[in-house]
Amino acid sequence: MKKSMKLLGTSLIALSLVAAAGCGSNNNNGGNDKGSNSQTNSGTNAAAGNSGDAKAEKADILFWTPFSGADGEFMKKIVEKYNSSQDTYKVKLVIQPNGEYYKLLDVALSAGKDRPDLAIMHVDQIPTYVNKGQLQPMDDLASAAAINKTDYVEAPVNYETIDDKWYGIPLDIHPLVMYYNKDLFKKAGITAPPTNRAEFESAVDKLTDKAKGVYGYVVPTLWPQQFIFPTLVWQNGGDLWNGTDVAYNSPEAVEMVQWMRGLVDKGVSPGNVQQDGENTLFLQGKNAIQFNGPWMKGQFDEAGINYGVAPVPQIGKAKQAVYAGSHNFVLPKGVTDANVVKGIGDFLKYVSTNSMDWAASGQALASKPMLESAEFKALDMQSNVAKSFDYVQFAPNVLNWATISDPIWGELSNALLGKKDAQKAMDDAVAKSRQAMKK
Amino acid sequence: MVKSTLQSRLTSTLFVLPYLLSFCAFLLIPILYGVYISFHNFELLSDSHKFVGFDNYIKIFTPGTYLFDQFTTGLWNTMQFVLYSVPLLVVLGLALAMLLNQLPKRIRGLFRTFYFMPYAISGSVMAVIWLMMFDTNAGFLNGLLAKLHIDPVAWLTDLPWVWVSLVLTTLWWTIGFNMIIFTNALNEVPEDYYEAASIDGANAWRKFVSITLPSIRPVMLFIIITSTIASFNVYAQPFLLTRGGPGDSTKVLLMNVLDEAFKGKQVGSASAMAIMMAVIIIIISAVQYKIAYGRKE
Repeated sequence: MKKSMKLLGTSLIALSLVAAAGCGSNNNNGGNDKGSNSQTNSGTNAAAGNSGDAKAEKADILFWTPFSGADGEFMKKIVEKYNSSQDTYKVKLVIQPNGEYYKLLDVALSAGKDRPDLAIMHVDQIPTYVNKGQLQPMDDLASAAAINKTDYVEAPVNYETIDDKWYGIPLDIHPLVMYYNKDLFKKAGITAPPTNRAEFESAVDKLTDKAKGVYGYVVPTLWPQQFIFPTLVWQNGGDLWNGTDVAYNSPEAVEMVQWMRGLVDKGVSPGNVQQDGENTLFLQGKNAIQFNGPWMKGQFDEAGINYGVAPVPQIGKAKQAVYAGSHNFVLPKGVTDANVVKGIGDFLKYVSTNSMDWAASGQALASKPMLESAEFKALDMQSNVAKSFDYVQFAPNVLNWATISDPIWGELSNALLGKKDAQKAMDDAVAKSRQAMKK
Repeated sequence: MVKSTLQSRLTSTLFVLPYLLSFCAFLLIPILYGVYISFHNFELLSDSHKFVGFDNYIKIFTPGTYLFDQFTTGLWNTMQFVLYSVPLLVVLGLALAMLLNQLPKRIRGLFRTFYFMPYAISGSVMAVIWLMMFDTNAGFLNGLLAKLHIDPVAWLTDLPWVWVSLVLTTLWWTIGFNMIIFTNALNEVPEDYYEAASIDGANAWRKFVSITLPSIRPVMLFIIITSTIASFNVYAQPFLLTRGGPGDSTKVLLMNVLDEAFKGKQVGSASAMAIMMAVIIIIISAVQYKIAYGRKE
């Protein structure tokens, strides 16, 4: 009897220990602040103001970003400088893996706990999240912190002002840009980067040297067509969305697909380019021109390419236009603590005049005072990028645009690989998009 | 007598308990929750989730709907991959194990490590390596072919080469596992059987068919079933190497499930697709098991 009682006792203890560990999805580790795992302490700490501190104004701000690439370090610098510049508010920066960011954000927002107080969001995502009631307007926060709408580039501000309420404060705008290999340009006797279709076509002809395996412009068939295709379509007077329906199979749009395929047929680009093929060739010095985003700068610097940056030439016949993304600060709906909100305003005010570190990562800032500063103007590439801010456009403001537009990319690759006629490919994609719209 | 039974029962329960609890928390409950979600209109960002019964499942099987197209395209491509990869995974896994056994003991361990190493790396690393190999214009394989004066092959942008590439990559990446399991199975076969067979005048092929294969039957079935399940769950290779291209000819079912869940934010219909996929895998595994153990010895 005694033996089994002892055994029963130990087993009950063991059981409860296992239960506590195993069932513990709620890792509320009281004051255990494991550096990188700060997201678990989030909501509870921020909401309470600061669990044990006498001064009620202090607040911790949990700040989520998707900057898992090289740019993360630069945002870290900004946050550290802010935190050391004052001691009322403490911003806790969390860097989520870029590819998983929205999955994690969606789960955190819907679960309620562990959700951030401040988050980075791409401008084209904001309308969807506003539609689902996930974001708070930032007008009050901005006016309390003396942040003016007019201090920011118009394009993102207009996009994220919905029903007269301002839902996001811009950090940067990252449009498609043209990178070119200065050495190859010199060899071919080209003195300035092309600015229109005629100059572009003549340049790539001169740059292509089949015998040496050098190409003027290698046409990508997958990413970053998500930036290139809309740019060309808009430049040519076409549209992705006409207000009520998808419109990317219009003659203007198809003409641009045919133009890109034409480059392959002419030999200016090799065929059968797989994912990242155009970038690999650029890094090897075998591709003279690339259309890509500012985020590539670090990679090209590391590879030691003598590259130049210029706005994307106007290939289309209608107007200058370029597709862009934009990082913005947004306020999730669950953030109600007045001190936290005040802290966020303070931090964003700081960022609007102290984001040179962010520009150093290769990004062009969206804050006008920063754009006009001498420091920023001294940054060659970033100021080049900022030249296009007058005509940047973002993704169509349509609910579920990601799902509706998804068929474009598969069919576009079919057309660019020469497997389907351009018109047929775009028509097939439109059919699939319309089906996705119906669901 | 009674005391020891109670004690041994208690002890065995204790040993199972940790795994049982983890299984419940990380497998059983999420699966049940997934089934629950699939009966709802579950939008990732909205707070209310309406119960819709079998609606999601009906949509999957109704021709003409978005879900139907996503599910059938994905399923068709996944099945192709299963068909092309599983036989090779099994046969080559066994072949490698048998080759290993022929090696002298001293270098056997070395080669076993070489063949198993790829299994330990992550999908992203695998993709970086094989994108470099399969790059049409700057890749290693086409560079080799160029030296042999053979035209470059569009490994990742042309049918049927895409499938060759995906299967090749999968073999490189995961065959180590099958090989190790088969090695253990082969070592279990008693040496005397082979000796007796030699005395009776059997050649290598005869020994293989009549001794090796029957002896490793259970392990063979295990490998076939696990390889099938693994191939059904393929995601990294098609997503990272081809993004489902060219067009959507390599867009596998899991890619469509994830797109529906996180691009379309419709976790309900995505769960329904995932549950259907699981049902199909279970049916196929059951069929394989039946075929293997159906005949009574």
